[in-house]
Amino acid sequence: MKFNTVIIGGGLCGLTCGIALQKAGRSTAIISTGQNALHFFSGSFESLTEAPARMADLFGEAGIRLHYREGVRLMPLGTFRPAALSLEDISFFPKPKIGEKALIVSFKRYHDFFAAFLADGLEKQGVACRIEWLDLPELEQLEKSPSEMRSVQIARTMDRIWEKVVGEIRALVQDEDIIILPQVFGLKDTSVPIRIRESLPAQVVFVGTLPPSVPGIRTQMLLKRRYELLGGTYLTGDEATDAHVHEGRVHSIVTKNLDNHFLEADNFVLASGGFFSKGLKSNPFHIFEPVFGLDVEQAENRSDWYHPQFMHDQPYMAYGVKTDAALHALREGAPMQNLYAAGSVLGATRPEFGSGAGLAVRSALAVVDQILKTEAE
Amino acid sequence: MDKNEYDVIIVGGGITGAGTQRDCAMRGLRTLLIERSDIATGATGRNHGLLHSGARYAVNDPESAEECIRENRILRSIAAHCIDETDGLFITLPEDDLAYQKTFVEACRKAGIDAEIIDPDLARRLEPAVNPDLIGAVRVPDGGVDPFRLCAANMLDAKLHGGQVRLHTEVTGFIRHGDTVVGVRTRNLTTGVAEDFYAPVIVNAGGIWGHGIAELAGVHVGMYPAKGALLVFAHRVNNMVINRCRKPANADILVPGDTVCIIGTTSTRIPFEECDTVAVTPEEVTLLITEGAKMAPVLSSTRILRAYAGVRPLVSADDDPTGRNISRGIVCLDHETRDGLKGLITITGGKLMTYRLMAEIATDAVCRKLHIDKACETATTPLPGSEERSYEAVARKIWEAPSMAQKAAAARMGTSAARIQTGDHLDEALICECEEVSVGEVNDAIERLDATTLTDLRRRTRIGMGTCQGEFCACRAAGLLAKASGCVERERNGIADFMQERWKGNFPIGWGDTLREAEYTQWVYKHVLGL
Repeated sequence: MKFNTVIIGGGLCGLTCGIALQKAGRSTAIISTGQNALHFFSGSFESLTEAPARMADLFGEAGIRLHYREGVRLMPLGTFRPAALSLEDISFFPKPKIGEKALIVSFKRYHDFFAAFLADGLEKQGVACRIEWLDLPELEQLEKSPSEMRSVQIARTMDRIWEKVVGEIRALVQDEDIIILPQVFGLKDTSVPIRIRESLPAQVVFVGTLPPSVPGIRTQMLLKRRYELLGGTYLTGDEATDAHVHEGRVHSIVTKNLDNHFLEADNFVLASGGFFSKGLKSNPFHIFEPVFGLDVEQAENRSDWYHPQFMHDQPYMAYGVKTDAALHALREGAPMQNLYAAGSVLGATRPEFGSGAGLAVRSALAVVDQILKTEAE
Repeated sequence: MDKNEYDVIIVGGGITGAGTQRDCAMRGLRTLLIERSDIATGATGRNHGLLHSGARYAVNDPESAEECIRENRILRSIAAHCIDETDGLFITLPEDDLAYQKTFVEACRKAGIDAEIIDPDLARRLEPAVNPDLIGAVRVPDGGVDPFRLCAANMLDAKLHGGQVRLHTEVTGFIRHGDTVVGVRTRNLTTGVAEDFYAPVIVNAGGIWGHGIAELAGVHVGMYPAKGALLVFAHRVNNMVINRCRKPANADILVPGDTVCIIGTTSTRIPFEECDTVAVTPEEVTLLITEGAKMAPVLSSTRILRAYAGVRPLVSADDDPTGRNISRGIVCLDHETRDGLKGLITITGGKLMTYRLMAEIATDAVCRKLHIDKACETATTPLPGSEERSYEAVARKIWEAPSMAQKAAAARMGTSAARIQTGDHLDEALICECEEVSVGEVNDAIERLDATTLTDLRRRTRIGMGTCQGEFCACRAAGLLAKASGCVERERNGIADFMQERWKGNFPIGWGDTLREAEYTQWVYKHVLGL
């Protein structure tokens, strides 16, 4: 099987890269283990305040609308963070105002949404809060199994009964200015959060829950659908295990599922993520990149990988695959001619790309530019 | 009578203090226990959780060995829900001297320990994780004991006998009338409130911190803080305790406990100032892994969950400053006869295993001072939760068809699990999925077992002790704490404290899946949840 580009990693970075290349008429394949950082996506691109035109187009065509307004975001534990470019159902506060009133609605027996923390955070800003717990017979089935009352399972039910639920919420509203709901709406039907917002008599703010993230899973699904519509080959549940490299060029890669077949391509993109996604692995002595054995930035002494304070910036999180300026990955100090690295396999933060979701998208687009530019040359 | 007056005040909420309070309370005394932090925060919660058969001490310290096997039998009957009856092996590896086995078995038999030499082949079948190269094996009645559960059950029973408990309260000084100690000055570390309490007898059961408590009273107890480091592996690879059949050395005991297993330990003298901040060094980690893999080779590829260290409260006999004549036996000091200071007793030394005996000795001393003649009944009266021996039987008695989580609760709480039964699904929702801890069990720990922080909850219920190390359960449980205390801000800050406490044990072994989990947790808390 021969492609123009084979991408290792099916998360935000790999999909962005794949969609952009397919749009440019290149044939691509994505190898995805099935689990990636979109599953705990906050819904915001931390390091961005506006979408580069290309990114807005790319997401818009996939059915994902992005927005940004100055203000703050309400975080799940009741803290505030500056607004950032976000999915449309992530709301911003222009700044909570003293004297405003908020209604926080959750579900009985649901422990992954922190109404009390949210109320505390808002009340400190002078917003009066009231918490209501919905008791829905439709969730009874989930309640029977003690580990089923989780965001995604609830969202599946909500996709069916959201109109009824909105009716119940409407009946609860008194004179509140803000209604706060958990992000358990619109798992498959992206229009649901928007329609909820339109049908309630106050400003609706969706606030995150414990992972898995419903907006994140929806984003993954929409991007993947878009990628496949453009003719991309998405190999789910597979894993790159080895590569054939000759004189600084990757010829093909070996995957777990494709036994004796190799995936050949002109270009390869390593978008395999950080430690969580296993793009980076570690043993007591080294941090390493498992597929190609690329050079990874790291402190020599293990004790220097960590900061003893949990909340402090952790050195290990910044470690990643070394590249040249054109994002060619380095192996034994030399750039691989047709292997690019993008996303958090580069480390959680890169000054030029930001961090998290912002890093994923921006470095993916930079790699695409590089591939197209090299081809043109 | 003043509400702050008692018959006896016990300082220290480890197993010795909790056991002493229970014994005193059962003999009819009005008791108060004061603990600076939470229950089981010192050496009590920082050891192997090994129910010694005594075999380890048989050759060098027969007296301790006899104490151990006696208490071993007693704990099996009075603390069934805290005990894991696994049995243990003392294995001889090719590098060890097989001749030692004979000395060992003879010493065990002399101490009354049932030690049986078994064929290495049988040992391999009984314990598939054992190093298959072993050339000798002895089977002994070792087991596992959950020190948190044991401590909580003792304290609960003391309370059921009218005892009072003040956690997170520090003793700041003693109140003296001439040559007699009549009370303690304290400060609540959460609220800052200072309060005095009075009693004719005060028991110093502060473990290694007992040294400092004695100094507050102006007497000196010569102690020798010996740090021991241990590693928790993420799987229960062995079902029997595995020991090396040789003279006791570093990292030669592997104990299964709940869902994990624990290798240890080391022994290093440390200064008193470091007792609060002991950390595991990279050298200790390497030693523990290397030696552990000799007993169970699979450990070299098993994920490590945590590293931790405790400080043994060893006592230098005769105030020997060099620590040469260290005793591991029980030390009960009556400061009246020893130092001319009336009203103060120090109980120290000993082991988790012998806590009940220590409590009995201390309580006997208290009763002598108070001229009370009442026999000790702790050797025959089961702890709350241990009225029934098999957790499965317990679960079946409470629930018609117990779920996994209910069985887990019964295994942790014994018959006390009946307390969390409700007809509602409300209490059955899981807070901690790794350890199957339900809402009901968390609420019970808050209401009946004095848990006020997430870390307190961990000690009582195992939340956050599983493979995810508190990733999700911390937030969920903080929600329940906030509901109970009404103090939302404090509980939110408590999440950061809890995660810090988990991280402390993770980063010394921060590679492989542990680092993977840590990256996920740190990202989620900072960037997704907004801590």
